[in-house]
Amino acid sequence: MTPTLREVLNYFEKQSRALSLTDLARELHIEPALLQEMIGYWVRKGKLRQVGADSCGSCGCSAGCPLPTTLPRRYELATDNLPTGVGFCPRSGS
Amino acid sequence: MTAGPFTIALAGNPNVGKSTLFNALTGSRQHVGNWPGKTVEKKEGRTTINGRDIVVVDLPGTYSLAAHSVEEIIARDFIICERPQVIIVVVDAANLERNLYLACQILELETPAVLALNMSDEAHKRGVHLDPQALSAALGGIPVVETVGSRGIGLDALKAAIQTALAGSSQPFHLAYDALIEAGIARLAARIGAYPELTAVYPARWLALKLLEADTGIVAQLEREYPALIGAARTIAQNIAETLGDELEILIADQRYQFIGSVISASVTRTGRAQITPSERIDTILTHRIWGIPLFLALMWVVFQFTANVSAPFVDWIDGVISGPITRWASTLLTALGLGGSWVQSLVTDGIIAGVGGVLVFIPVLTFLYLAIALLEDSGYMARAAFIMDRVMRILGLHGKSFLPLLIGFGCTVPAIYATRTLEHEQDRKLTGFLATFMSCGARLPVYVVFASLFFGARAGNLIFALYLLGIVVAFVTGWIMKHLIYRGQPPHPFVMELPPYRLPTLSSVLRTIRGRIQEFVQRAFTIILACSVIIWLLMALPATLDWRDFNQVSISDSWFGAISGVAAPAFAPAGFGQPEAAGVLLSGFIAKEVIIGTISQIYGGETADEADSSTPSTLADDLREIVYTFGQAAVLTAQEAINILPRTANLLPGVDLPEANFLPLEAETDAASGQMNQALTQAFTPLSAVAFTVFVLLYVPCLTALTAMRLEFGVRWMLYQVVYTAAVAWVGAVAVYQGGLLLGLGGG
Repeated sequence: MTPTLREVLNYFEKQSRALSLTDLARELHIEPALLQEMIGYWVRKGKLRQVGADSCGSCGCSAGCPLPTTLPRRYELATDNLPTGVGFCPRSGS
Repeated sequence: MTAGPFTIALAGNPNVGKSTLFNALTGSRQHVGNWPGKTVEKKEGRTTINGRDIVVVDLPGTYSLAAHSVEEIIARDFIICERPQVIIVVVDAANLERNLYLACQILELETPAVLALNMSDEAHKRGVHLDPQALSAALGGIPVVETVGSRGIGLDALKAAIQTALAGSSQPFHLAYDALIEAGIARLAARIGAYPELTAVYPARWLALKLLEADTGIVAQLEREYPALIGAARTIAQNIAETLGDELEILIADQRYQFIGSVISASVTRTGRAQITPSERIDTILTHRIWGIPLFLALMWVVFQFTANVSAPFVDWIDGVISGPITRWASTLLTALGLGGSWVQSLVTDGIIAGVGGVLVFIPVLTFLYLAIALLEDSGYMARAAFIMDRVMRILGLHGKSFLPLLIGFGCTVPAIYATRTLEHEQDRKLTGFLATFMSCGARLPVYVVFASLFFGARAGNLIFALYLLGIVVAFVTGWIMKHLIYRGQPPHPFVMELPPYRLPTLSSVLRTIRGRIQEFVQRAFTIILACSVIIWLLMALPATLDWRDFNQVSISDSWFGAISGVAAPAFAPAGFGQPEAAGVLLSGFIAKEVIIGTISQIYGGETADEADSSTPSTLADDLREIVYTFGQAAVLTAQEAINILPRTANLLPGVDLPEANFLPLEAETDAASGQMNQALTQAFTPLSAVAFTVFVLLYVPCLTALTAMRLEFGVRWMLYQVVYTAAVAWVGAVAVYQGGLLLGLGGG
């Protein structure tokens, strides 16, 4: 049985530990790809936020970028007005 | 309605091979332009099916038809207004779950459709097997075909399916919603039926659904002319929401996902490796709740063995080349120019070559460090490290996301401070920026290597590992104290992390990463370090008495450098390094941590060049032969040290005593290359005071650039707190190590 969208959102609101997408999918008995789609729905609705490496490196300075690692993509509750998918590459001024 | 030839449209998510299928269908009969009034590319082509001329339009890739983006609006408007005779819904067969939401929305538009399961070869390879018949049955009987657009596979079947769809034999697709929602749709659709101008454009059921979902695009379009209809939709939606206990839009989306889940269960089977991927298997060990952290620490231990010990032979080689041949060549050249023995020679050899060269010596250390980091990053392990450490952070009451800037701090504190922008609360940002300075940056590593190699030989890696751990521990303790005493608040919400699959690192990517970072290091050596080396040399050459006749003739203790350092020196006496020289070295480290090594080279190794110059006269050929010979030696020793990581790691286990490889005696090579700097350092420091000194270097004030970043991000006051706190912690830490060591009988001499 596919979990409801609310059940997915509830995880973010009530659970106390971080999980990988695969682990959460296993916990909710759902295919990871479908779970990602449901999370994507909440991201579009502005309830969740996607933060991650997607935007890092897009400034064109990746070759000399001092960051030792790119960040994996994460999803979290959007509790303020930080734009989704925000990057922080210091050289891009973002 | 379109006149003339039939029009079919290709719709689907981005990256599902839609354009490839479009190319396969239309060949060279294509026209590329823009959608009217938009910058989005419009691709149109022609094909023939059973002698019929067909126009094929490639719609922009979208994730839904919710009109959130220009692409979505274009796709939706085209389907509604242009009324193509058939829509080919292209989905990625290997990721059906990710494509069916859009497919459902398109099918609900009631236009005849065909589902193309594209890239089906890739799906089969990944053990994903689809049942087109079951899928067709679940989707209201629409034709479903498997295709591989890139190889033209399934094109005939697709054309046949298009013909079937054109014949209009299948029923419009209606997803069955909850009974209450269905009743609402029916009521509203009946009202819409009273407006023939609307039903001429929109299917009534679809429009009812969109109005109940409060679709912003549709509502905005109809609100002015049909206020009663919009009002009725709102009332119905509100009643349903009150009864079912949630927003109607969410309930409708939810039922689509439930439907997709049931379609997947009925039509997709996974075999073999697709059930549990190799990455998931590895993750059951590497991200295990209990074993994940010890394994992470063990891996870091190996990294520092690799960094410190494997790089050591090449550090010695570069040191030998710079302090030997290069210094001799510079001296010879200056003597030939009539500047031998002058202050200019001193500036070049004792100032610039000793300072800049002393830093460049550590290129191998950083190369090996960045190689290790690049391998871990490219393999996908770094993402796991962040994930594992999240748990530790939470136990300490810190935000899990704080670990990511801290991880970046191992490379450089400056981007780590900027990386705190990903934290949403200011207090978390400030706290994490504060803690990031305790993460040992790459610039501090050469200092550890100098002291660890000199005083601890083959066990250098252990000391370096311990220093990195100490930085983490101090950061966590500081974080815990601040979080519990200053920043009390609610525990942070958790996150879900998308762990990328493990993969073999590519040589080009690893080399690119290393090159970029080493370039930056070299750039700093020839800018900041060069400038600092000249300043330090000047301070050491200027007599404290301001008697210019003694310029470049005074001892360090009688110079300005000595005078300034002498003021600070007594403060370091309890930590075992109360000499003015050591104090001066630490003061220079305020500018940049790399400067410490440059200053050490200038102070403790300043006379090496002169000695090398006078005591070992040699020809250019001798020098070149020596450089090549010692390079070969260094290469062999590097291989030896790399091999020895295995026995050294295994020997940490109780009862294990594996022999180490010994092709060349490492000590002999090191002794030959080590110069006066090492002798001077062993006279100035004991092993215990050396450890205390490195602890101070680890913990004290970050560099000037990091402080500037801190001022810009968090303000002057916070930056000053940082200076005072780190200086205090460093002093307490160094004194505790030294005095504690003395108490334990580890000896000061």
